[in-house]
Amino acid sequence: MSGSDDASGRRGKAVVRALRPYVDPPEEDTPAPGPSSRSASASGPAPGPAGEPVRRSLSVRPFLVTAGRVTDADRLPLETQVITTTAGLNALPALTFEQHDIVAACREPLSLAELAARLHLHLNVVRVLAGDLRSAGHLTVHAPQADAAHDLSVLRRVIDGLRAVPDSRGLTRDNNRPA
Amino acid sequence: MTTTALPNPSASGAGRPPLPVKMVIAGGFGVGKTTTVASISEIDPLTTEASITEVAAGVDDLTHTPHKTTTTVAMDFGVITLDPTLKLYLFGTPGQDRFGFMWDDLVAGALGGLVIVDTRRLDDCFAAVDYFENKGLPFAVGINVFDGNLDHDLDEVRWALDIPDSVPLVLFDARERGSVRDALLVVLELALQRAEEE
Ligand SMILES: Nc1nc2c(ncn2[C@@H]2O[C@H](COP(=O)(O)OP(=O)(O)O)[C@@H](O)[C@H]2O)c(=O)[nH]1
Ligand SMILES: [Mg+2]
Repeated sequence: MSGSDDASGRRGKAVVRALRPYVDPPEEDTPAPGPSSRSASASGPAPGPAGEPVRRSLSVRPFLVTAGRVTDADRLPLETQVITTTAGLNALPALTFEQHDIVAACREPLSLAELAARLHLHLNVVRVLAGDLRSAGHLTVHAPQADAAHDLSVLRRVIDGLRAVPDSRGLTRDNNRPA
Repeated sequence: MTTTALPNPSASGAGRPPLPVKMVIAGGFGVGKTTTVASISEIDPLTTEASITEVAAGVDDLTHTPHKTTTTVAMDFGVITLDPTLKLYLFGTPGQDRFGFMWDDLVAGALGGLVIVDTRRLDDCFAAVDYFENKGLPFAVGINVFDGNLDHDLDEVRWALDIPDSVPLVLFDARERGSVRDALLVVLELALQRAEEE
């Protein structure tokens, strides 16, 4: 690992820099010897700690697709549901690639996370584009109930629903239990 | 893998969408997060990319603030349609020990968490355990029994993990849907109990 630290550190910085234009204004623009080597050693084997895959291929796309903008939509939770409106369907032929794909996919309610995965887009790109499409009236965006985790009736419904999920032999939780 | 028909797809999009709720599956690399999500999800687990903030150990000399960078990580998730009005999302989050990952974005609003542990590498789960504890998120620790039997007894594992009795410790099999379901139910029962006490 020691021999490749330098190279992977530099690659790590490159990924960060590619993401930063839309996430955050860049703080340092060139890999100057001083701060760069210090942060490279501070962050060690970033950005792929312990082998969890860190995809580099998409790292520049967010900036290109969203033209560097960040909207309030970047705070929308992952499970936020997105649904196409009639106006969105009518506008489909006029929409550009990513916007077209999002509006087409959301004829059925989809979460932001599912959208990102299906369309192979970075989550934050989907957030920004969904925010734009909502502003244009092409989508409705339904953020989850903020206090769901403290709502007794929601918790009970989730528990009841999950109990009814059969295991691989077709038994529900309650069948499984001694009578 | 079962597929569930979506409720009343509405071309106009006028109807209300199902209520989405979520749980977080955490743990070190290779402990069985993806397997767990795959076992119970009605869709093949999808992978998406999320930005997380990494706080590096050192302090930036110029600004005297902790050095933060944004890293893109693969995060997998699945979904269970519990009824036409309720969808449970499961997010499998990478958690490593060398960084203070800020999962706030992922856990905000979550009903609870399951920290998966492989007893051969116990320390891989400490970051997730500490994080959930600090957040006050109801969670359980699930020991993924890879080969069907456990070398240690549960009390030993609890002692080694240094988790309080209030944190449920369950044995489960990440490959078995019923086992994953039951581990999630332990977390949800705890969440309900906490909510009832509030
Ligand atoms: N024998 C066995 N293998 C498992 C079990 N759980 C996971 N695995 C395997 O362990 C490896 C890592 O699991 P994965 O779910 O990808 O771990 P992740 O990195 O936490 O997502 C995969 O090859 C799985 O097939 C288990 O309970 N028994
Ligand atoms: Mg995985």
